[in-house]
Amino acid sequence: MKNTIVQKFIILIGLSLALGIWCSQTGFTSRQALSISIFSASIFGTLFFWDFRLSFAFLGSSLLLITKTIDLEHLIKFSSLDIILFLVGMMIIIGLLKESGFFAWIVSLILRVRNLTATKFVIAVSLISALLACAVDEVTSIIFMVAAILEICDYFEVNPTPFIITSVLATNIGSSGTVLGNPIGILIAAKSGLTFEDFIVKAFPLMLICLLLAIFIAVLWYRKSIREMDEKIKEVGSNEMLIKLISVPPDRPLKLSLAIFGVTLLFISLHHRLELLWGLEANTILLIVPLISSACIMIWKWNKARSYVEKDVEWWTLLFFLLLFAQAGTLKYSGATDVLAQRLSGAVANDPSLLTGMVLWISAFGSSILDNVVLVAAFIPVVQSFKDLGFALQPLWWALLFGGCFGGNITLVGSTANIVALGILEKERSIKVTFLQWFGIGLSVGIATTLVIWLALLYLPLLK
Amino acid sequence: MKVKEIMTREVVNIPANASVNEALGLLLKMKISGLPVLDEHNNLIGMFTEKDILRYIFPSYLHKVGRFVYDENPKAIKKKMAQLGSLKVEQLMRREVITLDEDTTLCEVAHIMLTQKIRRIPILDKSRKVVGIVAREDVIRAFAKEANLL
Repeated sequence: MKNTIVQKFIILIGLSLALGIWCSQTGFTSRQALSISIFSASIFGTLFFWDFRLSFAFLGSSLLLITKTIDLEHLIKFSSLDIILFLVGMMIIIGLLKESGFFAWIVSLILRVRNLTATKFVIAVSLISALLACAVDEVTSIIFMVAAILEICDYFEVNPTPFIITSVLATNIGSSGTVLGNPIGILIAAKSGLTFEDFIVKAFPLMLICLLLAIFIAVLWYRKSIREMDEKIKEVGSNEMLIKLISVPPDRPLKLSLAIFGVTLLFISLHHRLELLWGLEANTILLIVPLISSACIMIWKWNKARSYVEKDVEWWTLLFFLLLFAQAGTLKYSGATDVLAQRLSGAVANDPSLLTGMVLWISAFGSSILDNVVLVAAFIPVVQSFKDLGFALQPLWWALLFGGCFGGNITLVGSTANIVALGILEKERSIKVTFLQWFGIGLSVGIATTLVIWLALLYLPLLK
Repeated sequence: MKVKEIMTREVVNIPANASVNEALGLLLKMKISGLPVLDEHNNLIGMFTEKDILRYIFPSYLHKVGRFVYDENPKAIKKKMAQLGSLKVEQLMRREVITLDEDTTLCEVAHIMLTQKIRRIPILDKSRKVVGIVAREDVIRAFAKEANLL
């Protein structure tokens, strides 16, 4: 165990140093090489030592400052405090929704499907997983979906694994549908100027098409489990008892929470028009709406306000994001991303279609191993640098978004939703999903959906 | 006042290899909510409480999902209750136990109960053997007596 840790640490240092030396000898300035070396050490740190990622982010940022690769003013500027505050606001709103029973209420809707069949169940689970991931974050939504699936599978005495895997696949796909589904959505929106409406008009329909494709693949892949569940449903009887099992009456606090969430979503969806109407800077409304809503929540539930901020906001993750964004910004600040952009565009002979495909597939396969926020944060300054080389950026932003979200389906460690869901399955039912058990369906869905996006990016003028 | 003056000296305990059903029966019979768990040398190795049973039968994600209403007992809970008989106390018990020595003051005991959110604390002698147990009720009774309320 100790030896493995030492080995990993030596590999991390060796790789980062080698990358820095290689960069300095291949045309990068020493400052650019240093910024790449330190940033890659942070990335390798998250890959090899996930539990220590915040320590690596702290150390990396300190090294950047001490080596004068970046100054304090720019480090703070690149830390994207606007995105962090947006996420803080959304986490407080989600804390209220959780407490008021919103998610349990949503989940109880699945149980109300009349004349339940296994195929109907797979479709309902997939649709709700995807839509819930669109509206809130994917991690919150998957916990509720897994809880519901376990209850239902217990009731019918069937193995929950195929249904949980299907729900996770749908969650990762659904998280690309709006700005809210995944931290990379808001990150891309804030850096690209794409609005919530752009996501609804362009990303959401594509997400739905990919979701239908994923459901089709899942129904085929798990046809045996579906048949077994159908037999059990016939044996156990209708789901009338199941409907009674979990129910949440829509009481006053739930209705009020729903109203707050609804108004928040409405203003977020209209943010671009309101910003134009009131002459505000781009994304001002998008970023402040969650803050206003969470402020109202903390006034309404004043005696729980501290608990929302301390328990529902994931400060560990947010601090990691903040420093990661700052380190990725250093690549831009040092000019390293401009050199990288030139080389990448040279590698594809300045062909925009090839470049879009490259960004899509790199982000998809990269996200299957790395956390997608890490990958997208690193890629954003590179994409920004493509603008100076005359490329249209919009297809590249969509490629980054869909690649980052769909790539998470390829392996069982591809996204936080996968890890959370499989962790609960193992703890609750002692079922351990193996790498290959996941990889079969994960790769099929990941490749098929990414292919759909590739074709859309190549041939749909809407995305250009 | 020291804790040795108010603690219960006849401590009801359970061996680590006893079945959970046996421990549950003891908790219900003695009308207490927790038992010190001892190894074969009578050393304290854990605490077994009602909370450990609830934690086992309810899903681990319960605290993450906020409000989750069960109108009736789901099959999973009945199944897990049925499994209790096949489990040993050491499989469910909490291993990190806060203990005190006999000379700890009452205020210190009350302070620890309040800050650590615990109901009862085993008291150990110098050879680390359990010589008593103090519950919240004992502390309150002692304070009330001192204030001539009882």
